[in-house]
Amino acid sequence: MHVLAAQGTGLFIQQIENGIVLGAIYALVALGYTLVYGIIELINFAHGDVFMWGTMVTLTVTQAFHIGDGQVVGGFALVGLLILFIVLSMAFCAGLNVVIERFAYRPLRTAPRLAPLIAAIGVSFILENIAELWRGANSISYPLQFPIITLSLGPFSIGLLEILIILFSIGLMYALTRFIQGTKLGRAMRATAQDPEAAALMGVNINQTIALTFLIGGALAGAAGVAYTLEIRQVAFNTGFELGLIAFTAAVLGGIGNVTGAVLGGFAIGLVQALTIQYFPGGNGIEWIDVTVFAILVLILVFRPSGLLGQQIPNKA
Amino acid sequence: MAMRKAGQSSPLRQGWDALTRQIGDALDNRKIAGRPIRWYLTGWRGGVLALLVAALYPFIASFSPDNAQTLISTGIAVGIYVLLALGLNIVVGYAGLLDLGYVAFFVLGAYTIAVGTGGIMKDAAGKVIQIPQFNLWILLIVGALIAGIFGVLLGAPTLRLRGDYLAIVTLGFGEIVPIVFNNIPFFYGAFGLTAVPPAPIETPIGVIDFGSFTDHTAFYFLVLALIVLVVLFVVLLRDSSLGRAWIAIREDETAAAASGVNLVRTKLLAFGLGATMGGLGGVLQGSYLSHVDPGSFNFNISISILAMIVLGGIGSLPGVILGAIVFRFFDVYLLGVINDWISGTFLVASPTAPLHFLYNLPNQAQFLITGVVLLLMIVLRPQGLIPNVRRQRELKGEGVSAEALSVVGALEAEEISEVAVVGLGAEDATEYAGPGSDARGREE
Amino acid sequence: MATDDILLQLSGVTRIFGGLTAVDSVDLDVQRGQIVSVIGPNGAGKTTVFNVITGLYKPSSGRVIFEGRSIGGLAPDSVLRRGIARTFQNIRLFNNMSVLENVLVGQHITYPGDLFSLTFRLPNYQRAVKAANQRAIELLSFFGSKLVDMKDEYAANLSYADRRRVEIARALGSSPKLLLLDEPTAGMNDAETAEAVTYIQRLRREFNLSVLLIEHKLQVTMGISDHIAVLDYGKKIAEGTPAEVQHDERVIEAYLGRKTTVVE
Repeated sequence: MHVLAAQGTGLFIQQIENGIVLGAIYALVALGYTLVYGIIELINFAHGDVFMWGTMVTLTVTQAFHIGDGQVVGGFALVGLLILFIVLSMAFCAGLNVVIERFAYRPLRTAPRLAPLIAAIGVSFILENIAELWRGANSISYPLQFPIITLSLGPFSIGLLEILIILFSIGLMYALTRFIQGTKLGRAMRATAQDPEAAALMGVNINQTIALTFLIGGALAGAAGVAYTLEIRQVAFNTGFELGLIAFTAAVLGGIGNVTGAVLGGFAIGLVQALTIQYFPGGNGIEWIDVTVFAILVLILVFRPSGLLGQQIPNKA
Repeated sequence: MAMRKAGQSSPLRQGWDALTRQIGDALDNRKIAGRPIRWYLTGWRGGVLALLVAALYPFIASFSPDNAQTLISTGIAVGIYVLLALGLNIVVGYAGLLDLGYVAFFVLGAYTIAVGTGGIMKDAAGKVIQIPQFNLWILLIVGALIAGIFGVLLGAPTLRLRGDYLAIVTLGFGEIVPIVFNNIPFFYGAFGLTAVPPAPIETPIGVIDFGSFTDHTAFYFLVLALIVLVVLFVVLLRDSSLGRAWIAIREDETAAAASGVNLVRTKLLAFGLGATMGGLGGVLQGSYLSHVDPGSFNFNISISILAMIVLGGIGSLPGVILGAIVFRFFDVYLLGVINDWISGTFLVASPTAPLHFLYNLPNQAQFLITGVVLLLMIVLRPQGLIPNVRRQRELKGEGVSAEALSVVGALEAEEISEVAVVGLGAEDATEYAGPGSDARGREE
Repeated sequence: MATDDILLQLSGVTRIFGGLTAVDSVDLDVQRGQIVSVIGPNGAGKTTVFNVITGLYKPSSGRVIFEGRSIGGLAPDSVLRRGIARTFQNIRLFNNMSVLENVLVGQHITYPGDLFSLTFRLPNYQRAVKAANQRAIELLSFFGSKLVDMKDEYAANLSYADRRRVEIARALGSSPKLLLLDEPTAGMNDAETAEAVTYIQRLRREFNLSVLLIEHKLQVTMGISDHIAVLDYGKKIAEGTPAEVQHDERVIEAYLGRKTTVVE
């Protein structure tokens, strides 16, 4: 994150912007949680780690091009690279998510709720530890330096990368919404989320629909992975854990299962995080992010479990 | 892992089933002193047998080519985790509450002994202050109590939450507690504290030194004694009205409440009692290792204990003990042996060897293996190695036919968890037969 | 009608879910020793009324008074302690427990709750265990010897009618004064239904309790009820004796308009 202003209002605005950028990334990941939850009522613990693998893919591809540390790439090469990152990361994460669903969750679809939860934890562990064994326990510095181009408008200054991330995220979210509302497959997803049995009776292939949901969720996580890597420029095997928790909180804040909610929640948490890092009493903001986000999660779950946009569902007798 | 139709087993499966059937028959038919072998392995008799073996373990260890003390150390490490598994089993296995933050109680116990024996902490300004010192025995109780109280505190917000959310919230608490210890000034933050080993005790038969750095035998028996106490306690709980209430809320909270079970109290008791064992284990760990710092406590531990329970058999007392023993023994001892063996082979040893990337890899793959075990078990054999019959029915839909459950008298009998050599006792299927607890509804 | 004859009193009880008013200002009295039926087309809010009485939901407004004391908003287990037990429309037994264990859970409140008595099996705990087991057998034998013989069978393996009976036996465990039965004859054929009618009446006599009943089969309600309340769209539209209700035009319209069971 670049700090373009050192104090006062300028710093505050800066943090707002940081928050929005982070929020866009979180929103993408939160969408993955919310889509999967909406359709099979499972919190996919491993989702954050799928995102982490998106960052790993981005890193690996970058290193394959022998891009030096801090090297700035511009112009067409940059565009080409970006497209490559996005395609590869999204495809890899989408595929990974589908495989996970097929082998870890589908066999447990009729089992008591405890079972797929435990399976998800197992998957999460496996994903994290393979990454750790492959890339080591330390955070890796991402070499590629996106050209620093700042655009100013009055008191607001924001980098080109940040704008692109925000636009890209919003674009994906829009595409997702159009897909869910407008296409046959999207309708199938919504139907399955509401009532799997009725959907099946109507001819919806449940297995395929669920697989598709995981595919989309994975793709979004992959996209988020690219954005995260370019922006934060640190890749580590355990980013999935923290980010997963944050994104999940965002999804719950917005109302789990609710797509718009996930987006709003993402931005909200992003803002909270940016402000916490900067303004937490004692100056040790970074250490306390997890605690703050988690406190929010607990508060929501205790006082308004349906989230901001969710429905109050009566306790079924 | 191909999905097969019911009735079509792979040759591997058939071979396995045949083998386990043979062992099962042997257990049932071969007799000692007029009783089938299986009889000796069930219920309290099996427990006594296991206790005997455990008590003789240090003696047996002295015959091994390895340093006996290493093996006894391993025994202590295993024993501590047996306590943890027993505790988590109450929460997850009996009450059905997926607690992913169990490490928090472990931490609390460890810090209790470190602060309690060490006699120093820091105040808010970071200055060192002296505090009274206590001995191990008092702190065992104090540590368990503190952990128990926190178990209730941390469980309270989760009472109305459904399984997934409960898991996440407990996970969060499990994360937060070490972070708090790391970042507040009172307990030396990341540096941690050191516990003072317990003083030697004079007895008529000689001096017993639980704190000895050279002979861990005394400490091993301490751990063993505590395990016995805890097991007795757990059995008493399990076979009581409280144990039944736990099963009821696990099956159907609404019906349980409508039948008079106070959900809040019953769940909090599960959290609290389970936590006390975590605290107990923590005190022992802190005393044994001496140095306690937040870095050594994290989510990995919570999941490892969960894996032990899943491996051994959720809700099954002998199961979780076995799971803890197998898992921990593997982690602490066997993995190292495997690692050295693999790293020593010519395919791996030298930097130019083709498989050199495997060098020392097994040692680092501890948690990867944990994850794999967790996933494979929950998908392939969710009831664990020694299944609890009732849990097995829950996890697999319609399961075994009703075994005689004799529920009479003050100490109601165990709900059948025979020592079942892996695979015995029930039809195994790689797919779930039907919905969790309402198996009746299916037509077929 | 002396006020201490009134066991349960619902006063303007309303329950709203989001935009839906499931129960709308319902007044209902159950006197000691009465069998009262609540009838109405599907979706009329009958089970919701039960859920409010038993503490699953708090009333959005209105009062629920039992034996002169307000119970609105109490947790279900507290409601049970006050003396109201219930069965569920879709039979909620503990499937992986035996018949006997199910009935023992129903007596949970008779056991000492403190950890100390429990852990050390103090005499008061042991007495409670013995008493509960004895009573469980007694309760099961109310239905004959069949259930007693099957006491160790998993609840899931029983026939539908037997499961209903076990659920009732479980509900009786706490010696309630008022028993709420939610569609106790659902899914039963005529013979089984007649049998159920008989045992409901026996329940009142032998256990000295009052019964509040949700029932769809009009021949059942007309036969055993002292008093009937009719709900439609959450509102009470009629009440009275079976004879009065049978000929009430609003009732006939509510049922005929929905094409459900026709009043004979």
